[in-house]
Amino acid sequence: MQLDFAARELTIKLVYYGPALSGKTTNLQAIHQLVSSEGRGRLMTLDTRDDRTLFFDLLPLNFVAGSGLTVRLKLFTVPGQVIHNATRRLVLQGADGVAFIADSQRGETKANAAAFVNLKQNLKDNGLDPAKIPTVIQFNKRDLPDVRPDEEIDSLAQKGKEPVFKAVATRGGGVIDTFLGLVRVTWDALEREHQLKQKFQIDPEEVMRNLQSRLGIQEERMRGGLSS
Amino acid sequence: MSDLHALELQMADANRIDDLVDREALGEVCRSFFELFGLPIRLFSAEGSLLADVHQQRSICSYLNGLPEGRAACAQTVGEVRARIPDEGVVVHPCFTGAVYRIVPIMYDGRRLGRFVVGPYLPAELREVPPSLLKVDRGVDPVRAKDYLNEMPRVRTETAEKITAHLSRVLDLILFSGHRAYLTSNMHLASVRSNFRELAEKNQRLQNAYDKLKELDRLKSDFLATMSHELRTPLTSIIGYSEMLASGMGGELNEDQQEFVNTIRNKGDHLLELITSLLDMSKFEQGNIVIRREVVDPERLVEDVMRTVAPAAKKKGVSLDQHIAQGLPRLIGDGPRLRQVLQNLTDNALKFTPSGGRVSIDVSAVDMQSGGEESLDDDAGLVLMMAPQRCLQFAVRDTGIGIPRAEHERVFDAFYQVDSSATREHGGTGLGLSIVKRLVEAHHGTVSVESSPGEGTTFFVRLPESEL
Repeated sequence: MQLDFAARELTIKLVYYGPALSGKTTNLQAIHQLVSSEGRGRLMTLDTRDDRTLFFDLLPLNFVAGSGLTVRLKLFTVPGQVIHNATRRLVLQGADGVAFIADSQRGETKANAAAFVNLKQNLKDNGLDPAKIPTVIQFNKRDLPDVRPDEEIDSLAQKGKEPVFKAVATRGGGVIDTFLGLVRVTWDALEREHQLKQKFQIDPEEVMRNLQSRLGIQEERMRGGLSS
Repeated sequence: MSDLHALELQMADANRIDDLVDREALGEVCRSFFELFGLPIRLFSAEGSLLADVHQQRSICSYLNGLPEGRAACAQTVGEVRARIPDEGVVVHPCFTGAVYRIVPIMYDGRRLGRFVVGPYLPAELREVPPSLLKVDRGVDPVRAKDYLNEMPRVRTETAEKITAHLSRVLDLILFSGHRAYLTSNMHLASVRSNFRELAEKNQRLQNAYDKLKELDRLKSDFLATMSHELRTPLTSIIGYSEMLASGMGGELNEDQQEFVNTIRNKGDHLLELITSLLDMSKFEQGNIVIRREVVDPERLVEDVMRTVAPAAKKKGVSLDQHIAQGLPRLIGDGPRLRQVLQNLTDNALKFTPSGGRVSIDVSAVDMQSGGEESLDDDAGLVLMMAPQRCLQFAVRDTGIGIPRAEHERVFDAFYQVDSSATREHGGTGLGLSIVKRLVEAHHGTVSVESSPGEGTTFFVRLPESEL
């Protein structure tokens, strides 16, 4: 988090992490399409010729919170390929919150777990405590055959501590839920650590409402996902 | 990388136009803008420095600058325009001539990175020479002022809005592309640094492991040296006392007793040789071997070795042969060590040559390429890297069992034996050739082997001619 008191500007870094081809970039593309152009910048993609993310994707979303504080959300993705670990670690530097995008297909279960272990290690290497960093988990690609069943995910999600979302990022379903869920857990953590409410008189509920309206996220759109 | 840069990379922020775009290219965009619309343009960074400036001095401006009060008013207007920061969108700043400046913020990613100023130009709607112009200086001539004013570009307000909006979009795109390139190159650099750091750490770990192994190797050599020395001491007594027994100092021995004592002595001698080899080896590994430099006579060397092996050769039914060429180069080295080399090779040859075979030593002068092994890999700079050098060559030939081609390199490794069954048949520690190689190399020479199984083996020892 970067806080510029003089400019009354708060920058929050959110990172979309996960194994290769789990749909991190697709999530950002969907957000880019779903939010109104007023609050978002261009989606920047640093990719290779084969369309794989080389360094990261970046989507800036800006809105003004109630008390005149400008909130700048920076959404990053990391490259999922195993060889790009140095890049993943770099992108993860200074992250305030992480959305872990998992591939729902049964065959990808091990890859998901390995990527999560990698996430924890890279957080540690960056001096971040994996137990404390706000995290949400998204099971993407729910529309594909042979995915881990809802009941299995739901029952495990109840035992786990991270909020779990289900999505079909290619159609935009569940993407905004995941994003808002991530902003919420991140903001709650920042509030606990930095007392933003006291310093800027910003209520987290108001932030969420503001975010939704400023970014033009409409209720119907949010409900358009699978989680309805 | 400074902390600021690290932080910028962390958040992928862009705070300076200079970082994102090339100043010259920015100038070209402005020039093209000026050529297309005929409107003067200046581009400033957020800190206020002028990044690009394309304009043409207008007659009205030159005229007014020629008048003392006109010049002051002009300077004041320009100062105001420069100082005006457009916080909330576009600002239109008037000039006393009736012309205007449009000041447009350059926004990127929600931040103001600078501004551009288009003007002065006349709003198309302006018809009359404004009083503010006529009154600015007592010397203003209304007719000339009107003529000059009419030379100024006229733009309708609506058109000016469209033109500046277009330029804003073009600049935004340029900044976006620049930002993308900026992040890419910074990420490349950061990745390379990060990878380098990882590799350096890995190298350090490998170096530590290597140092540890080297230390273990040294301990092993120490152990070998100590043990060999300790083994030799009692062995000397065994050999000495069996010699005394054999010489009859302890009383007459019958034939069987004499044979047994001789066997003890022979085996003792053999064991002593083995232990001496081990000791030599450990000395080499510790780098403790000292090579003397003295004039050595090759012919005497060969004869000496031949004399030593003659009884064994005769017993085995192997004939010995030697050929010493004329005009050999002078050899300087360690006589006893070179004798050891020849002795080892000849012993080996005899060992692997069956009855009826022949072992020979040829000594000749040859030219050897100098310049080290690495320069032989390619022909680059061959003429510089290499020069033929006179060498003394000892060739030890046998007609024995031979060595398979694949083994030629490895026969010089310590403890290596082509066929371990040969050890049982012929004996030996597997140290002989390794010691030969090290001794020859200590003399700056080379040792090589040519052989085909069943057709015998030749070992070549080449020692460079001594320059002193």
